[in-house]
Amino acid sequence: MGKRPSETRATQPPRRRLGVVVVDPLGVVRAGLGMLIANADGTELLAEAGTADEALRAIARARRSRVVVLVGLGLEEPHDASWLIREIRERYPTHAVLAVGANADPTSISRALFVGADGFIDKRVEPEEFFESISRAGEREVVLAGPTSSSVGQIADGIHRRRELDAMLTPREREVLAIAAEGLTAREIAARLGVRERTVTTHLGRIYGKLGVGNRLAAVRLAARSGLVTVGTPE
Amino acid sequence: MAVRRALDAGERVTRSPARLDQPQAVDAGPAELFVIATDPVVQGVIRLAADTAAGVGRVTSISADRLPASVMTEPRPIVVLDLDGAVPSIAPVAAVLDLAPDVRVVVLSERDDGAFVLEAMRLGAFAVLRKPDGLHTLSDVLAQVAGGERVLPTDLEQSAVSELRRFARQVHAASTVATPVTDREREILELAAEGFTTHQIGRRLGISPRTVEAHVAKLYRKLGVKTRIQAITRAAALGLIDMSE
Repeated sequence: MGKRPSETRATQPPRRRLGVVVVDPLGVVRAGLGMLIANADGTELLAEAGTADEALRAIARARRSRVVVLVGLGLEEPHDASWLIREIRERYPTHAVLAVGANADPTSISRALFVGADGFIDKRVEPEEFFESISRAGEREVVLAGPTSSSVGQIADGIHRRRELDAMLTPREREVLAIAAEGLTAREIAARLGVRERTVTTHLGRIYGKLGVGNRLAAVRLAARSGLVTVGTPE
Repeated sequence: MAVRRALDAGERVTRSPARLDQPQAVDAGPAELFVIATDPVVQGVIRLAADTAAGVGRVTSISADRLPASVMTEPRPIVVLDLDGAVPSIAPVAAVLDLAPDVRVVVLSERDDGAFVLEAMRLGAFAVLRKPDGLHTLSDVLAQVAGGERVLPTDLEQSAVSELRRFARQVHAASTVATPVTDREREILELAAEGFTTHQIGRRLGISPRTVEAHVAKLYRKLGVKTRIQAITRAAALGLIDMSE
């Protein structure tokens, strides 16, 4: 299973099965996905990992040129899903990375694509669609399984808003805003960045002006909508 | 305040049901349908499709230049927007949704490339169909849109999804540019991309060639390049300027 009959190439010699790495903080999810993948015809389970760092070690051990990595959006700090996707994209440009989530909002899908994911699979899709998505990702296609027509526009809008925000703010201002979103005071932000408190308040004032907002909450809300910062859990 | 507008748009579309959810029940009576099409044949096809579509009520032909007030006041109006020509612009879609953000726009177009489809959906369209083959499904699509669903044919959906990755990568690459490019610098880049010289650019913008040079030098630094051609190709790759036309 996993491939539609029209996609199997009977005349060609059997190819090596597609290697898959499953990354998810929840053991039950890992076990379930791992079992499905290990028992399917076209795929082979290379490793399971519960954290981003474990995942990078597992991928390094795999020694394959093309691996499909399924990254659960529920991964948490210090190295969350965005961090892992960005790392894999930089270190292994030929691997396919698919974000996996349940009920994910379009903003977190935008964010995953922005940092380099090749697609998104909703955990609620049927196993058949799940496998089809994995093998299509193996063929270098972009995959969006689950939330398609209804949210492709919203996902694009999230990325578009990120571009607008990026066009307005300097990298330092983005950094300040991202830290401000954690709820730190100007003094604490200054300490983290190693600058004077006065510098931080100047940055914040300039950020509010550029975004056309009156206070920090409004600025953080804007940043969250454009995927610059995450507020709350992505799932 | 482009961001504010985008924000409002985001809030608007967030309320639409995801595909996995049940479509909204059609209990508020049939949806009023407005047609924007200059081609009488296309108009006829739309009217025919509307007649057989469940949940679709009265059909009115309107002009894109002057939207009647009823488009804005109807509870769940559908606008079928026929875009003329082989390479139509997306502008009418944006114009309709700007005036009447709650309208469910169904776009008919000969264009089916990912950039076009994705931009239409990003602006808030409910469906995009390719002419002429997509017209066969129009009746079903209208019924789905009347029920609150967003609809894309499989092939258009796949090209939109592929475009999504390209778009995401481009925006990501652009975000690595150390300092945002200013409007003036972008203007100069666009003129340079059209092949104008420093003097010509200066004349066009009413500034001295020396000022143009200063802008260009700043641009090189921001884009991390050394020549004008590099600056233009890099800016195009980052989506800062559009070289497709």
